[in-house]
Amino acid sequence: MTSALESHHRISQFLFHEARLLDEQRWAEWEKLFLDDGVYWAPATPDQPDPLNHVSIIYENQLLRKVRIARFQSPAAPSLQPFPRTAHLVSNVMIDEDDDGAGSIKVNSRFLMVEYRRGVQRFYGGAYAHDLALRDGALRIRQKKVDLVNCEGPLESSSVWF
Amino acid sequence: MRTLIDKRPAAMDVAALVEPDRVHRSLYTDPAIFDLEVDRIWHKTWIYVGHESQVKEPGQYYATTIGRQPVLLTRHSDGEFYVLYNRCAHKGALVVGDRCGKTKDLRCSYHGWRFDFDGKLLGIPLEHGYDDTRFDRKGPEANMPRAARAESYRGFVFASLNADAPDLKTWLGGAASSIDNMVDRAPEGELEVTGGVMRYEHDSNWKFFVENLNDMMHPMVTHQSSSLTARVVAKKELPADAPVPSAIEIIAPFTESYSFFDDMGVHAFDYGHGFSGGKTSIHAKYSDIPEYNRRMEAAYGSARVAEIMAVNRHNTIFYPSATIKGPIQTMRVVRPVAVDKTIIESWTFRLKGAPDELLHRSILYCNLINSSANLVGPDDQENYRRQQVGLLSESEDWVTMHRDFGKDEEIAPGHFYAKGSSDISFRNQYRAWKRYMCEEGR
Repeated sequence: MTSALESHHRISQFLFHEARLLDEQRWAEWEKLFLDDGVYWAPATPDQPDPLNHVSIIYENQLLRKVRIARFQSPAAPSLQPFPRTAHLVSNVMIDEDDDGAGSIKVNSRFLMVEYRRGVQRFYGGAYAHDLALRDGALRIRQKKVDLVNCEGPLESSSVWF
Repeated sequence: MRTLIDKRPAAMDVAALVEPDRVHRSLYTDPAIFDLEVDRIWHKTWIYVGHESQVKEPGQYYATTIGRQPVLLTRHSDGEFYVLYNRCAHKGALVVGDRCGKTKDLRCSYHGWRFDFDGKLLGIPLEHGYDDTRFDRKGPEANMPRAARAESYRGFVFASLNADAPDLKTWLGGAASSIDNMVDRAPEGELEVTGGVMRYEHDSNWKFFVENLNDMMHPMVTHQSSSLTARVVAKKELPADAPVPSAIEIIAPFTESYSFFDDMGVHAFDYGHGFSGGKTSIHAKYSDIPEYNRRMEAAYGSARVAEIMAVNRHNTIFYPSATIKGPIQTMRVVRPVAVDKTIIESWTFRLKGAPDELLHRSILYCNLINSSANLVGPDDQENYRRQQVGLLSESEDWVTMHRDFGKDEEIAPGHFYAKGSSDISFRNQYRAWKRYMCEEGR
C-alpha cells in the first residue's frame, strides 16, 4: 500500500514524463505509454458525451497514432516543414480515483502547450483527463482526453498531440 | 481600400483579370478585389445559410453570416423558416449574440426590443415615447429585415441579399442532383444535421479552398505523408487477413493513381457549380453495412436502390459557399473573412432511417479529413498558404488554368465534362466569377 503522497508524486511524474516525451519528439516511446487498446481523444465541444456520434478534433486508436507518427517522419508533409517545436506544461494535478485493486486511476490536470512553427508562436490550453491503468507495475494510458478551452474554434492547423 | 475601389473603372479592370485559360494573381492577394467580391458575389448570389433540421421547432434560431452580413435562420410558429438580418431596429446591436438556441421571442439585450421569428416587431419598452415622431412602429424600419430571398432545396437553406437572383432551383441547375443523391440515400428521404460543427481557420484566400476540391492533380502529391503512409502502416500493423478498418478505407484512396482520378472525371455547370466523380469516386469502396442495405431495399425497392447507389460523387461545389460529399454525408461551408483569411465549417448529417453505423462513419470521416488537427488537411492548408505568399511574387502576373483547355465536352446543354486531370473546374469557376464581378444583375 503506497501512501497518498507517494501515489500523487508517482502519477504526477508519469504525466510530466508523458509531456516530456511529446516535447522531445520521442514518439515511439510516447505511443508505448498507451495500452494496445488505449485512446487519445480531443473533443470538439465541451462536455461532449462520446466520440462516435459527435465530431472530434482528434480521436485516435493505436493504428491512427502510428500513422500520425509515420507521417511525422515522412519527408513529404509540407505542413511539417519545418517541424513544430513544443513545450507542454502540466499542472494542478488532482487524482480523482485511485483504485489500487482494480488498477484504475483517473487523473485531472491542466496543461498549456506552447507551439512554435514557421515563425509563429501559438498557445493551446485546457484540461487533461487521464484514465490510467497499472500493468506489471507500470502506469499505462487507457485514455488521454484533452479538453481545449477553445475546442469549438475556429482553430488553425495543428499536427502534433496536445 | 474603399477609395481604391472607387477609383477603379471597376467592370473594365476586373474583367481584364480573368481570361479563359488564366487568372491574374491579384484575385488572391488584393484586398480591394476581396472587398469587391464581397459586394458582387457574396452579397449578390445564393449563399448557404444552414439546414432546416437546425431549426426544427418554432423558436429555434441559428446565427451565421452572409459575406459580411450577420444573419439568423429562424423557425416561426407559422411553420416557415426565415432568414433575417441579425440587427436590432433600434440601435443596430446584434439581437442574437450566441450561435444557436431556442427562445420565446428575439429580445435585444441592450434595450429590450422584442421581435417575432419572422422579424416583425413585437414590443418596445415605454412604446408611447415614439408617439407623434417620424418613427413608425408599424413600418418596415421597426422590424428585423429579411434577406431579399430565402429558399430551401430539400432541406438546404440558401439566401440571397439580391432580390433579382434567379430562383434557387434554376441557380443550382444540374448540380442539384448531388443534393438529390445525398438525400435519396436516406431510407426516410430526409437528412438531419448532427454531431456538431468544426471551424477551421485558413490563413489563405477562400478561392484556394474552393478550387482545391475538384483539383484531381493534387491528392497523390499533397497527401503522400498521410494517405500513402496510412497504407504502409496498416499493411505492417494488421494481419493480412484482417478486415480493413474504416479509417484506412477513408484515408487510403487519397493516393489513388492519376488514372483513377482521371476516370472519376469532373462535371461543370453554369454559375461556377460542379462536381468530381459520378459513377465512382474515392468514396466508392467503403464496406457494405448490411442493415443499411436492408432498410434501403425496404424503402425504395432494389431497382431504385441500385440507381441511387450507382451515383457516387466526390466533392460537389455550389459556388461559392457550399460544398458537399453525398456518399459520406458531410458538408464544408466557406465563410470568407479577409483576402488571406477564410473559415471552413465542417458539418455532418444523419441519413434518417439509417442505422447508426452510417453516422459513425461520417463522423470518423470528418475527424480524419476535415478537423484542424487531422492527418490530411494541414498539408492542403499549407499549400494554400504557400500560394498566398508565393503569388506576392511580381515575377509573373498570371496563374495557369491551361491543362486540357479546349477539350471540355458539352454532354448536355450547359453541362460540361472533362477527365479528372483537366483544369475545367477552375476555368468554370472563374467564368462565373467574371460574370458576377462584371455583369449587373448576376
